[in-house]
Amino acid sequence: MLKNPKNKKILKWLLIAGGSLLLIGFVVYFYFATLSHDDTASLKADYTVEAIPFIKEFEKDYKTANKKYAEKIITVKGIVTSIEPADTTMNIKMADTATGSYLIFAFQDQHMTEAKKLKPGENVLIKGSCSDGIYSEILDAYSISFNRSTVEKN
Amino acid sequence: MKKIILSLMIATASLMAFAQKKTSTSATVAFDARTAIDDLAKAENKTAIAAIDPSKNTVQFEAAIKNFNFSNPKIQEHFNQKTWLNSDEFPKATFSGVITSPSEVNFNKDGTYNVTVEGDLTIKGKTQKVKTPATIVVAGKTVKTNASFNIKLADFGVEGQPITAGKVSSEPKISVSAELN
Repeated sequence: MLKNPKNKKILKWLLIAGGSLLLIGFVVYFYFATLSHDDTASLKADYTVEAIPFIKEFEKDYKTANKKYAEKIITVKGIVTSIEPADTTMNIKMADTATGSYLIFAFQDQHMTEAKKLKPGENVLIKGSCSDGIYSEILDAYSISFNRSTVEKN
Repeated sequence: MKKIILSLMIATASLMAFAQKKTSTSATVAFDARTAIDDLAKAENKTAIAAIDPSKNTVQFEAAIKNFNFSNPKIQEHFNQKTWLNSDEFPKATFSGVITSPSEVNFNKDGTYNVTVEGDLTIKGKTQKVKTPATIVVAGKTVKTNASFNIKLADFGVEGQPITAGKVSSEPKISVSAELN
């Protein structure tokens, strides 16, 4: 059958098409499999807010606040109220001592060193990805979490 | 007499302080659904809320679903979407249970205690009973705890092609740890 030049040509094109599809598939898979989060320090903030009024927005209506702020890059200006160990790392907390509601920042690995230098009582600017605000039945307060944070200024 | 009264007051105060509920807002909940053919389905939530009440032997956890951090943003997006955890409608996972063997832990004495915890785990609005061994470490006023167990995603209404294709484990391992004060 392959002695026929026409069939040889078809087979050649089939091999090229199959190889190309395999290559495209591999490139697409490799692209998605190796995606990673951007360095937050290089991202422009969608909002810049003060910690306590920001917490009040969630206390007033956390569902509306989540629609506005979830998955957004936000720079928060506030006072560090505590530093908490979290497994092998640590988190920074800014709390409204009157209500118990708080913001909590988990840091990107590459920004952990600068976060570890912070101390309770310090005025800081922290930029991070606001993941969600939830009402905690355990604490009877609102918890607003940030991921992949970085210290902007202290 | 004054000394005795003072000693009793101090002892009562310290017992009352320890009997109070201990909490953490930086508990870690890890989700590991990696398989032999895909190692991307792994995430950690390091801002979960945890509480232990030594007077009632209760254990509680709350974890915001959107705060599970995957190394790959695309996987994180899939994890939160409607067909998976549907985090817009069900924003948190919760656990509420008790230490079923309270005699095996003494919250007033430093040490490492192996206990069993049993309770209700709620994910995506569905509640299932969970029973797991756990370790409690008492060190001064701090209590550290950790536990690991497997869940069946189908029990919580989480199903899909990545599971049937073997890219995501149908029975991921959940690990929780907390330092409570």
